[in-house]
Amino acid sequence: MIAAKMAYGNLFLHRAKSLLLGTIMCLGIAVLFVGNSLIDTAIGGLRKMFVEGFTGDLMVTGPTVFPTTIFGETAGGEQVIPHIAKFPDYEKFLASEKGVAATLPLLGGQVEMGLGEQVIGRGSAFGVDVERYKSFFSGNVTIVDGAWPNKDDPSWIVISETSAAMLSRAAGKKIGPGEKIILSALGDTAGIVIREVKVAGIVRFNQSNQQLARISLVDADTMRDLLGFASLRDTAVKLTPDQQQFVSVFDPNTLFDSPAPAASPATQATTEAKTDAAPDQGQTVAATPVPAWQYLLVKLAPGASASKVLADLTKYSAGIDTGDHVQDWIAGAGTVARTAVTIRLIFDLMIFIVAVIVIMITMNVLVVSISERVPEIGTLRALGAKKQFIRKMILLETTFLAVIAGAFGLLLGYAILLLMKKSGIAAPNLFFEAIFAGKNLVPVISLSGAIKAFLWIFGMSILSSLYPIALALRIKPVVAMQGE
Amino acid sequence: MDTQNQYVVRLENVHKNYALGKTEVQALQGVSFDILRGDFISIAGPSGSGKTTVLNLIGCVDTASSGTVSVLGHRTDTLNDEKLTALRHKGVGFIFQTFNLIPVLNIRENIELPAMLDGTDLGMSKAEREEWVAHLIVSVGLEDRMNHKPAELSGGQRQRVAIARALVMRPPLVLADEPTANLDSATGESILELMKRMNREFGTTFIFSTHDVGIVAIADHVIRLKDGKVIENRRVDEKAAV
Repeated sequence: MIAAKMAYGNLFLHRAKSLLLGTIMCLGIAVLFVGNSLIDTAIGGLRKMFVEGFTGDLMVTGPTVFPTTIFGETAGGEQVIPHIAKFPDYEKFLASEKGVAATLPLLGGQVEMGLGEQVIGRGSAFGVDVERYKSFFSGNVTIVDGAWPNKDDPSWIVISETSAAMLSRAAGKKIGPGEKIILSALGDTAGIVIREVKVAGIVRFNQSNQQLARISLVDADTMRDLLGFASLRDTAVKLTPDQQQFVSVFDPNTLFDSPAPAASPATQATTEAKTDAAPDQGQTVAATPVPAWQYLLVKLAPGASASKVLADLTKYSAGIDTGDHVQDWIAGAGTVARTAVTIRLIFDLMIFIVAVIVIMITMNVLVVSISERVPEIGTLRALGAKKQFIRKMILLETTFLAVIAGAFGLLLGYAILLLMKKSGIAAPNLFFEAIFAGKNLVPVISLSGAIKAFLWIFGMSILSSLYPIALALRIKPVVAMQGE
Repeated sequence: MDTQNQYVVRLENVHKNYALGKTEVQALQGVSFDILRGDFISIAGPSGSGKTTVLNLIGCVDTASSGTVSVLGHRTDTLNDEKLTALRHKGVGFIFQTFNLIPVLNIRENIELPAMLDGTDLGMSKAEREEWVAHLIVSVGLEDRMNHKPAELSGGQRQRVAIARALVMRPPLVLADEPTANLDSATGESILELMKRMNREFGTTFIFSTHDVGIVAIADHVIRLKDGKVIENRRVDEKAAV
């Protein structure tokens, strides 16, 4: 109690010192509060946009050389992302994994859209199972015109509002439900594939920006055709015994040794022949087709640990050893999310550098303060104060200062954030639109951000008082006899 | 405690050397004397004679280079910092030449400070302690100043506060280093009279240092130092003895 009273009194007795340190702490807390809020806003917005609209919390992708994004951006140079060979195994594993709420298989690629001979646009398209897609991203998609296709509807496309407007402009007429569009694949290794699809509906992505809002949804089989995968609309593949023999014992190394392998699969179709009975010569064997999917998105249950599920899934994937990639939403979202995370890292680094400087300044001021109070501390020691008392007194002094300066700093930060919120800074371009998670910057003012900022400064204050405390504890009681 | 002889302090052949740059200063050279409980003692001598050094050793804020210093029955060279702190806290009151009051505390809090340093209860309840502090405040004549800060008091009043503070733990021994040096002669005289009254009232041993030969007469026991040596050690009813 008396230590607290002395600590509090000392703040006002040494006003200049307190004011200097208080100002540093106040500004530090305000900067941290505002900075963290802006970064939290960006990452939180991006996270919401991607996790709830495009990537899920985690994703598995086919075996590219380097990890790829949901938009197929990969440093490996593959034109088409390979499919996930053991897709059913992943689904089975994830169904049993605690913390997984849902999964969604997906195909993705770039397509060109046309009306007859006329090209009217191009963009990203996702091949989806419409029911699963709607259920997985239920909060992100709203049909604004037309209707969702039925599960068994053939060759459909759902285009976004943005795409519809863009295509209508290019076509010179309204592109809407019922319109037939020609899709052709871009960057397809299987050659030129053209498919006609019917516009089933116009969709709005609730969480998106101008770039993401141009994505179209296509039925999975059409997308497989465009990407060069086997389509499930074809009936089960019938294999002759020779073909069955070939797919069972096929060794690519023999391709150049053997003058005439029986056959070569034209696509990356994934067919698993039933081999439980040896086929008779001349009979055909029915194979069970396994759908090709390039992505498997994972939605976590509320409160589930993303890092744990990611670790479990990574371990499982490594066990399968097919070269698939398992990654979180940041890796899946690509450049924008990575940039935001990088900005956070740079901010954290800047904070660290500022922290070191603040610690040095605070420490110096405290050292000067201690040296001015040598007789007082010596007197306390002479009167019987233990070292713990001196330590407590200085720590309390720092704590009081941090609390008072912290309160002012948080108020200042809060005022700045409110001002930013009211003024609604507009995103100057698509990059900032993504970073701002919308057209305007609307900072999230969170209690946790305020607490984090305060704790950071408080921690720095305590850290910077350690050396001055050590100096204070070295003061001998005999100095009290040497006068003030 | 040396109960048999009622010694509160005993110095035996004490030497104290200081390093002053490259030279060594011999502050005390074989000092020996005993102090009895309840005495009012003056350690007199000119500047540099070793008075403050003697008080530092008795007050357990410094240690001897050689020889033994016993305070309240404890050989101080055998005690660690924690035990020396406890001995000072419970056994020794300090009155400093420059008062050394805590500027942020008011008079009452300054007086009560030693009792609040480690939550010690002085063997009494909070109410009893407050009553004791109030009694001390009245004893030193500062009842109308108890909520003031030290900066609002005169030098004499500050020294009265220091005297009350030195007594709050009811220590057997109070050390006063030149308590009148920063006061005018009338105030200094009143301070010494107050100390003497406290000595009589509470039976506390007071040891004060002074270079003023005029105020030595108030003491029951005079130890005179010169160049780090005892040149006179006498009780007032005795003839001078070295």
